[in-house]
Amino acid sequence: MLRTTLAGLRLHTSRYVTTALAILLGVMFVTGTMVFADTLESDYESSVMGSATSVDAIAEPEEPEFDPEAGPPPPAVFGEEDLQRVRDLDEVADADGRVEGQAVLLDSDGRAFGMTPPAALSLGEVSRFGASEGTLPSGGDEIALATSTAGESGFGVGDTVTVLDPDQEEREFTVTGLVELGIDPSYTMGGAMVLDRAAAEEMTGAAGYVEIDALAAEGHTDEEAADAMAAVLGGGSDVRTGEQFGLDMAQEAGADTAMMRVALLLFAFIAMFVAAIVIYNTFAIVIAQRQREMALLRCVGAKRSQVFGSVLAESTVVGLVSSVLGVLAGIGVGMLGARFGSGLLGSGAGGPVDLVLTPAAVLSGLAVGTVVTVVSALIPALRATRVSPLAALRTSSTSAGLDKRTGWLRTAAGLAAFAASALMVWLSLMGETTETGMMIVTVAALTAFVGVVVLGPLLVRGIVHVAGLVLRRTGVASMLAVDNSTRNPKRAATAMIALTVGATLITGYSVVSASTESTMNAVFEEQFPVDYQLSPQFAMDEPTGGEPAEEAADEDGSGTDVPETETVPEGVRSALASAPEIDQVMGQRTDFIDGEGSADGSGMPMSLMVSAYTDTDLATDMPSELVSGDLEDMGPGRVALSEDYADGLTAGDTFTLPAEDGAIDLEVAAVTEEAGQIHGVVLDPQDFDQAFPGRTGDDMLYVRGAPGADPSELRTAVHDAVDDHPTVQVASMAEMKNQFSEVLDIAFYTIAAMLALAILIAVFGISNTMALSVLERTRESALLRALGLSRAQLRRMLGVEAVLLCLIGALIGITLGVVFGWAGAASVLPDLILTVPFAQIGVFVAIAVVAGLLASIMPARRAARTSITGSLAGE
Amino acid sequence: MSDTTVHPQARTQSPPVVVARGLVKTFETGGSQVHALAGVDVDFHRGAFTAIMGPSGSGKSTLMHCLAGLDAPTSGTVHLGRTPITGLRDRDLTLLRRDRIGFIFQSFNLLPMLTAEQNILLPSQIARRSVDRERFEHIVEVVGLRDRLGHLPAKLSGGQQQRVAVARALLNAPEVVYADEPTGNLDSRSGAEVLRFLRDSARDLQQTIVMVTHDPVAASYADRVVFLRDGSIVDEVTEPTAELVSARLLKLEEA
Repeated sequence: MLRTTLAGLRLHTSRYVTTALAILLGVMFVTGTMVFADTLESDYESSVMGSATSVDAIAEPEEPEFDPEAGPPPPAVFGEEDLQRVRDLDEVADADGRVEGQAVLLDSDGRAFGMTPPAALSLGEVSRFGASEGTLPSGGDEIALATSTAGESGFGVGDTVTVLDPDQEEREFTVTGLVELGIDPSYTMGGAMVLDRAAAEEMTGAAGYVEIDALAAEGHTDEEAADAMAAVLGGGSDVRTGEQFGLDMAQEAGADTAMMRVALLLFAFIAMFVAAIVIYNTFAIVIAQRQREMALLRCVGAKRSQVFGSVLAESTVVGLVSSVLGVLAGIGVGMLGARFGSGLLGSGAGGPVDLVLTPAAVLSGLAVGTVVTVVSALIPALRATRVSPLAALRTSSTSAGLDKRTGWLRTAAGLAAFAASALMVWLSLMGETTETGMMIVTVAALTAFVGVVVLGPLLVRGIVHVAGLVLRRTGVASMLAVDNSTRNPKRAATAMIALTVGATLITGYSVVSASTESTMNAVFEEQFPVDYQLSPQFAMDEPTGGEPAEEAADEDGSGTDVPETETVPEGVRSALASAPEIDQVMGQRTDFIDGEGSADGSGMPMSLMVSAYTDTDLATDMPSELVSGDLEDMGPGRVALSEDYADGLTAGDTFTLPAEDGAIDLEVAAVTEEAGQIHGVVLDPQDFDQAFPGRTGDDMLYVRGAPGADPSELRTAVHDAVDDHPTVQVASMAEMKNQFSEVLDIAFYTIAAMLALAILIAVFGISNTMALSVLERTRESALLRALGLSRAQLRRMLGVEAVLLCLIGALIGITLGVVFGWAGAASVLPDLILTVPFAQIGVFVAIAVVAGLLASIMPARRAARTSITGSLAGE
Repeated sequence: MSDTTVHPQARTQSPPVVVARGLVKTFETGGSQVHALAGVDVDFHRGAFTAIMGPSGSGKSTLMHCLAGLDAPTSGTVHLGRTPITGLRDRDLTLLRRDRIGFIFQSFNLLPMLTAEQNILLPSQIARRSVDRERFEHIVEVVGLRDRLGHLPAKLSGGQQQRVAVARALLNAPEVVYADEPTGNLDSRSGAEVLRFLRDSARDLQQTIVMVTHDPVAASYADRVVFLRDGSIVDEVTEPTAELVSARLLKLEEA
């Protein structure tokens, strides 16, 4: 029996070529992902391990637990005496500590680099970090940059850079080297520079060590050194050997890789799912075409189980062979990915990557490909067993494959699925915007998809019928194509559904993306009806960044020697106000009062957010949805509250502000809806000064251009105003919107690229369906040619049929995508502005047409090539 | 000679519609050459119903394919009217078939997804020709398909299917209709119906018909029978009867 199977396979190899390609692509995705992720992981692991194991023991101070009563904890560092105690240990040969703070680095335009000042550190004599290029700074005028920071800022070895000291005085340094600091987000996001010890302390004001690295003495193991250090450093420290430290770091990085692996595997799953549909359809068609062959087998004595086994054996061979090829392709793709994509995780210094090939990567590819193929062939195999031996004797060829009935059960089931789906969408929109809403929408989408699968044949016929009304008039080729595409609606439906999957996902995402963008744009415009926003560079007093910036503002107010980098300098405001291009400069001041009571009785103190806006008419500049009162009534002695802070108060009531120098009673002028622009407690600037006497300066400035001002002149005016204040961040609303769109676009293109494979597989499926149909219709094609249909017309006929299939698949997918993309986004984002990206959808439709034409090329060539006389003589 | 015998004589002597000269067709099969046609000269006259007969492998189907422009001869010429069709490019042959030739095949004559009426009208649609409704009605009436026009082929009997094919071939009044074993798959009653209809259309509509068959009864409906053996024309009979044709055929097989 197996011999028959294999002989049959050899004879019909061409029928399986596209199916094999579909499996191959899916498996390639799976294996490629595994190889890529494995390689990245090990590459990163080795680089982390290499750096961590360059020292024998690493001690970090433990983060003190946050105690709300005691206020913000002091930054945890080791003192000089801690380092001395470690150095004095017999088990330790040498040790040194890392000093770390922040300093403002100016970019080549003289503006502050980054949203927050980069980390500035000194590494010490013993350190797990070293220069990857050039040398570490050895004097007060030398500096080394983190490789990522050098890349972003464009500075290189030999350049001169300017760093601001705590008094905002400029100081110049020469770049002597680059340091690979790994993927610690506090370095990669904000940037980092390495100075010598004295310069680091001077520039940052930091004192103490955030880490002590030590080398074990001769005759002592790493563990002994680490244990000894832990003993002298006491309970407030976390001491690990270099190796353990490296392993822990690698594990953290592994989590990133694992997330990427899961995300990629999700797309691989989609591709495999589409491949499964294609495989199922191929086997179903091939089995239908080989009915007589199957019947003949039964006639000569094969049992049902043998016929079943023969089909399964065939699918196993096809699956296994394609999977092997897929695994090989996957290894290649994974290798390419690791070569070019390693930068994504900041691993390595861009050197050659050693390919990591785990048995799991190979076996998962093989298993997924083969199992999916065999499972997809199960139903066709079962169908093959139902072929009666008599079918071998029947010669009906005209009636074969003309199945026009759609059972009422099928119709009812499909409609029920759609109804259930609609109900779920309605429920999700009625409910609160929560995660469950998103889940319900997902389930609804899956249900609707089931509906499409069930009603597929009916949908195909319906849509083709409508399209046919027009197409039939455009010539005989189109007319025949219309008739051909409905002659086997189940087959056509399965082929197009493979495409529907990809079309739904990509349209859904494009709707989500476009709607998010327009919603966010609307929010921008509504909440910040301004042209520019100026803010200080956020500073984090403490290198580990556990402390919110607002707390720092408190300290400033109390007049410590920390420079006031958290407010926009007054000079900027006056410069802006005097510029003719600028109509209005609004200032925002915000502070917090730690409340005595608790909002929900949980005992957690509620921090009261108190703001004031200078030169601002709240009613017109910050229009808000009102619960009660009117923002027009604002003024000294009055207060505006957002609903969550109002605690049941309405306009006219008295609100008591628990200011530090005594409570202030204010009349409530207005209560606004939550999540609007008025957030927390908004005072008149006069009352704000009374409540926070130490506060000067604005946290934020909003600039509105004069009506009719030239945008470029406005831009120049704003930038001139901050010229002397490099740390002030200028954000143009237009630029912010652009950046936001850019981020969304990048996400869209990434996802589209990932889905492209699933779509490609679906197109292979449609091409294969066409090819098999053409095979089946060889004599028909010959008859048409004999009757005078030209080769071009024959090709056009098949082209139109394939395009029809692709378009139906795409249109159903687009419909589902728009509905569920909207429902999904609406369930997460309140007040969603539904935006259907018609241009993008137009592109999808165009792609579907092109895909259809491509899918028809091979089948059409074959159909046009076959000899008329040979085909007519057949049978 | 009586009136009834003069009539067919006249038909076989009217100007030839199809003229073949020196037709040779050689097939290469596994290195050895097979002469399917070994120099055939034959004419077919307007309004004549000619049968081509011969034992299996005599080359009768090949002759028809070459005459109809479905296949290209290795050498020799075929003229349809004044058009030399040998040497025409595929495109021109397609147009020729479409506009000037009708076909009836043994089986698989109809497109399964088109109704009987759509099948009949198909060549006109391919050619974007307007249909002579009167002729259509007449032909449909004669072949007795009036109440079957809306049916798909699967719902028609073999005889009905073949009558649809005949109607399709005749609708556009092509210069010549080629029929390849049109009754091969039919029972004798349905076959007789189809053959009668072919004969009548040759007489009444001046339709030139060339039919390939191996059935002496079918051949007896023709005005003239051409016998083929080993790729050459070896005999010819006008006014054939089934008995006469059988006898000649038998003689051919024996020789």
